[in-house]
Amino acid sequence: MNGLLTTFQQALQLLLAGDQELWTIVFLSFSVSLKAIIITTPLALLLAFALTHGKFAGIRIILTFINSLQAVPTVVIGLFLYVLLSRQGPFGDLRLLFTQTAMVVGQMLLCFPILVALGYAAIKTVDRRVWETARTLGAPVWFSMLTVLYEVRFGLVAAVLTSFGRVISEVGISMMVGGNIMGYTRNITTAIALETSKGEFAQGIALGLVLLTLAFLLSVLLSYLQGSKEFSR
Amino acid sequence: MKEPLFLFRGINKTFAESQVLLNVDISLCQGNCILLSGKNGTGKSTLLKIIAGLEIPDVAEIVISGKSESWKKTITEVRKAIIYLHQQPLLFSGTVEANIAYGLRFTSLNIKQRSESVKTALAWAGLTKLAKQQANTLSGGVQQRVAFTRAWILKPKVLLLDEPMANMDHESRIQACNLLLRMKSAGMSIVITSHVLQYFDGLADQHFKLKHGRLETAKVSKKKESPAA
Ligand SMILES: Nc1ncnc2c1ncn2[C@@H]1O[C@H](COP(=O)(O)OP(=O)(O)O)[C@@H](O)[C@H]1O
Ligand SMILES: [Mg+2]
Repeated sequence: MNGLLTTFQQALQLLLAGDQELWTIVFLSFSVSLKAIIITTPLALLLAFALTHGKFAGIRIILTFINSLQAVPTVVIGLFLYVLLSRQGPFGDLRLLFTQTAMVVGQMLLCFPILVALGYAAIKTVDRRVWETARTLGAPVWFSMLTVLYEVRFGLVAAVLTSFGRVISEVGISMMVGGNIMGYTRNITTAIALETSKGEFAQGIALGLVLLTLAFLLSVLLSYLQGSKEFSR
Repeated sequence: MKEPLFLFRGINKTFAESQVLLNVDISLCQGNCILLSGKNGTGKSTLLKIIAGLEIPDVAEIVISGKSESWKKTITEVRKAIIYLHQQPLLFSGTVEANIAYGLRFTSLNIKQRSESVKTALAWAGLTKLAKQQANTLSGGVQQRVAFTRAWILKPKVLLLDEPMANMDHESRIQACNLLLRMKSAGMSIVITSHVLQYFDGLADQHFKLKHGRLETAKVSKKKESPAA
């Protein structure tokens, strides 16, 4: 019991003293996950928009596919990417295995179906007349699309935050294709999973606290957005 | 009659299995007002939306200055001159002012001209005091006025009004009619759908009835003389 308390104190000390190793890990996590979200969001919203406003065959099939992709465990995404990027794999020449780029790509694969599904659910609530009105008032296709997205901006921000929470807390992909190299690919989750097993409890707890704080902040923001969404109509 | 701005020819449209429009021809002329009547679900809205480029016909042609082209090929150009107004207007989230200014950013006007134009339009519609209000919080009648002003400010050659008087009281109907008369005499081509005909006495020059997918010519009542003329 006493030992646990001491470890906890050490964890707080690490956090508050601005331990360089610890904050490098935190920064890396945010950097990788933000990149993944920023690159994926426009692509995912474009697809979500096409699925709600387009008239083409196969919309249902794509939706079903997107939904089943969401159920793929992160280690399986990691494994899949590992095979593609390994020396003998089709993209082996790119030498991307155990790099941040590989982690970004893996997290993009993870958040793409989530963003499409949440984006689709949000955009589907927009009245079709928004699109028609924008078009008939002379707006080009891309601007009409932004007009539609703007009508559900709260829902879309919520979708992005949810996806961010999901990618920054995943461990399977980062472990498989990142490799937990200190200062290069070690992020919060791989540090907790792999360093704790070596007895580095204090660091693990400190990083855990960072993740918990983030999760808490995200859910506060989300419920705030939920409120705005209900009052804005 | 003058040479039409646009002549839409041979419009056909099917939804699933049912043929809604069957070889419909309609010609839009300057300073001319067409009244389009027909029971609910006969395809009036669909026809207007095809003319506005918002719905895709199975086949259709557009004749401009004697030259005939497919709908697909020409609609991108043609729709720039045409504005469709929904039966229930939809205002974007934002202020009244922002709604009215919406379409101006796609014109060649610069920022200063645009804000001048918005100011004039707000005054014209009696909306100056409401300019900074959130558009979606206003009453139905005012929302309709905002939607109308948002279209009027763009000076379209053709205005398509889908059941414009459906939710208006008698007073507003007379006002709206007078307004449309003025716009007509300024050279605008107007198409109005409605199943109540007497609202448009003195405004409509032609009256068509949509029945079983075909456009039938019907009588125009010209009891009133146009007060603005
Ligand atoms: N997007 C659509 N999908 C399927 N059917 C439609 C669609 N829009 C209209 N319809 C059908 O086409 C017919 C004509 O509709 P509409 O043009 O709205 O008629 P009106 O405006 O004269 O009441 C109706 O039977 C309606 O059910
Ligand atoms: Mg209708």
